[in-house]
Amino acid sequence: MTLLEVDALDAFYGDFQALFGVTLHVEAGETVALIGANGAGKTTLLKCLVGLIGGRRGEIRLGGESIGGEPAERISRLGLSLVPEGRLLFPSLTVEENLLMGALNRRPGRWTLARVYELFPMLRERRRHWPDALSGGQQHMVAIGRALMSNPKLLLCDEISLGLAPLVVDQIYESLGHIRGEGASIVLVEQDVKRAAGAADRVYCLLKGRVTLHGEARGLGLEQLSRAYFGT
Amino acid sequence: MIWVETIINGVLYGGLYGLLGVGLALSVGVMRVVNLSHGEFIVLSAFIGVSLIGVVPWLHPLALLLPVAVIAFFLGFGLQAVLINRVVTRPDPFAAILLTFGVAVVMRNLMVEVYGADPRHLQAGQLAQASASIGNLHVGVLPLLILAVSVALFTALQLVLTRTRFGRIVRATADHRDVVRLMGVNPGRVYNLVMGLSLALASVAGMLLAIRASFTPYSGVERLLVAFEVVVLGGLGTFWGAMLGGIALGVAELVGLRLDPNAGPLYAHLLFLVGVLLRPSGLFRVRT
Amino acid sequence: MTNVRHAYRSWAIVALCVIAVVTAPWVIGEGVQRFLSEAMLMLAMAQMWNLLAGYAGLVSMGQQVFVGLGAYCLFFASISLKVAPFWVLPLAPLLCAAVAAIVALFMFRLREAYFAIGTWVFSEVVSLLISKTEQLGGERGVGLPTARLVDPRWLEPLTFWISAAIAVASVFGTYALLRSRIGLGLMTVRDNDVAAASIGVDVWRNRFIAFVIAAAGCGLAGAVSFTATLYVAPGFAFDPNWVVAMMIIVIIGGIGTLEGPILGVIIYFALREALTVVFGLSAGWYLIGLGLVAIAAILFEPDGLWPLVRGRLGGDWLSVRREPPAPPRIVAATPAAAGVRSSPSGFGATPGDR
Repeated sequence: MTLLEVDALDAFYGDFQALFGVTLHVEAGETVALIGANGAGKTTLLKCLVGLIGGRRGEIRLGGESIGGEPAERISRLGLSLVPEGRLLFPSLTVEENLLMGALNRRPGRWTLARVYELFPMLRERRRHWPDALSGGQQHMVAIGRALMSNPKLLLCDEISLGLAPLVVDQIYESLGHIRGEGASIVLVEQDVKRAAGAADRVYCLLKGRVTLHGEARGLGLEQLSRAYFGT
Repeated sequence: MIWVETIINGVLYGGLYGLLGVGLALSVGVMRVVNLSHGEFIVLSAFIGVSLIGVVPWLHPLALLLPVAVIAFFLGFGLQAVLINRVVTRPDPFAAILLTFGVAVVMRNLMVEVYGADPRHLQAGQLAQASASIGNLHVGVLPLLILAVSVALFTALQLVLTRTRFGRIVRATADHRDVVRLMGVNPGRVYNLVMGLSLALASVAGMLLAIRASFTPYSGVERLLVAFEVVVLGGLGTFWGAMLGGIALGVAELVGLRLDPNAGPLYAHLLFLVGVLLRPSGLFRVRT
Repeated sequence: MTNVRHAYRSWAIVALCVIAVVTAPWVIGEGVQRFLSEAMLMLAMAQMWNLLAGYAGLVSMGQQVFVGLGAYCLFFASISLKVAPFWVLPLAPLLCAAVAAIVALFMFRLREAYFAIGTWVFSEVVSLLISKTEQLGGERGVGLPTARLVDPRWLEPLTFWISAAIAVASVFGTYALLRSRIGLGLMTVRDNDVAAASIGVDVWRNRFIAFVIAAAGCGLAGAVSFTATLYVAPGFAFDPNWVVAMMIIVIIGGIGTLEGPILGVIIYFALREALTVVFGLSAGWYLIGLGLVAIAAILFEPDGLWPLVRGRLGGDWLSVRREPPAPPRIVAATPAAAGVRSSPSGFGATPGDR
């Protein structure tokens, strides 16, 4: 069944319109990539999904239920979890405390603190450290782990490869593979088109707040993607 | 000998000043709001104590610490929920300052109308005079008790913030008020609880201060300035730093009074100004 | 209305106001004069606070220190030099400017709320130091015996005229300052000090200038204010209620506008007279009332009441808003090269017009 449906979504920051009639959907168990240049509206779209954007028009449905007007505090309980752009870990909390924060709204499911440590073993060694003592890649792992702790139906990942060395990105994407394997659905926002298309089932491309392309990841050619990404 | 006693007494009362400040440090650290009515709530707690004593005169004022703290908690909760939460999300950093300043003006003058401008005092009876002898030193029993209460409350606050789930939520909300919403936390509600806690701590300090010295509805200003100086000296939002800041101010004030009996809080203020000159980010930075 | 007639009208209004002020002491009673003097001095102080908070982004809760220092300066200069107080009036703002310059050096290290309360602490320190100094009158304060050097018939009128002059100077002086380059710098700093710094605006210097000017203004107003009461003591001179009044006036009237404090003063005094004279309430109640109005203003109309009134009155009286530079006129070599069909009016059409 369709896990997430977005219908003709407009989003505003005050008077400024950031999204224009965005329509997309995610099926249960899928990984969908959302690509686009800086400022295309990818983060805005994710923020709309989790309820952090007030100025909105259009429909958002999770598992058939409309979540459009719900406040962010309640949406997390409905099974949507976000790994925010820039990680946004809590600097006053240790690694383990950060992970535990993610569990405040936990739904029944397979992800526990122990399983997150299995997925990211190096975090277990550093569980009492402050986040700023960790490397960029490790911080990303904490952010992902924190989002997993609530056992989301749909995991939203905003630029999880940003600023990381390729080897580290490989590790992160490998862990995403494990997460997929557990049955989670994922929306992957990336600037790195190859990575995203490689990891996803379907791809949507945004440009200046509009969907310019969507289709099966395998079927999209580089030229097609470039045009949709940059505009003509 | 008299100097050592003065310094020791300064340390003991400094604990009280630290308590005055820690409530403010809590609201500043978590909500980034300087509550300018903090001083007025300190004085109001003392007036409530006085009113309650009128109802149960056979009770010692110290026994009223808890009930008054509970009342203050609800007042703080209400203040935050009804007024301050409306301006906390505004980008303008001054809205909250000006709002709480307005609240302070209203409270101060309302207290004058209701309670009158005469100085009041909370009688501690024999306890106030009692003094213990440690070796050659005479130390007041009441100051020792006050220090014990201060340290106990500080420690309790520290434990709550670092070891409990609530403390974790508070720290996380202080870090990123929007991200915590993603985890189901309503920042407004956290702020309500924190402001309640802040004023509850302030009320204990207010009651203890009222036992030590007389107060009027206008005393709030002085209390606020002390609390504020404690927060700044201690490092703008850290807690044990506030305790140390309070002790420094207490010592400065009592030593100053010995040198110069008319000085009032002058030497404490001067210490603060010197501290700002030397290190505006605080003299005692201690991580929470 | 043509520019010429507009100018005539403005000058006519100015002339009328000057005549009104000059002749007032013969027309209105002493009580009214004193009331108006107080109101005008309060306007000047409010303009100074507004300059700081509304334009320089500095909330000062210790501004009363300059009110008091101005008064003390005037009193002691007048007494020791044995001249009538009005002759030494210019010394008050000068002293305050000097003190402000020194205070700024360490107070400017504090940001926002910390600056606000830091200035308050400074005020308390000055107040305490003066209270302890017997030569300066100590806690009891001093009177102004040299006021006898002024002919008593002229004391009230002189105070009135000087107050009016100070009020006018505060309004138009601030206006001139804000329309100058310094003013432009100030407003960029207020809006976004990081952005301002990045384009080369000297944030510190702009704030410093505003702080010194505001100190001088408050010192001058304070000096005149206490000359009228013929008595100064630390409790009154450094009373935080001075800055309470300034803040309430500016918040209710309209922060960050020049007309706001004028409206605020009118409301402040109207409310005060209504509550104390009409309803017979004590001074405490009017402060409570004003405090509640200020709270309501911050919650519901943080820009004050002036923006609401401005619409009804058809525009700004004293706008310091700048016009953006006009868009460039693009003149093509030939209409064809610019891709524009030539129109009867010839050149000057912008590309894109069809």
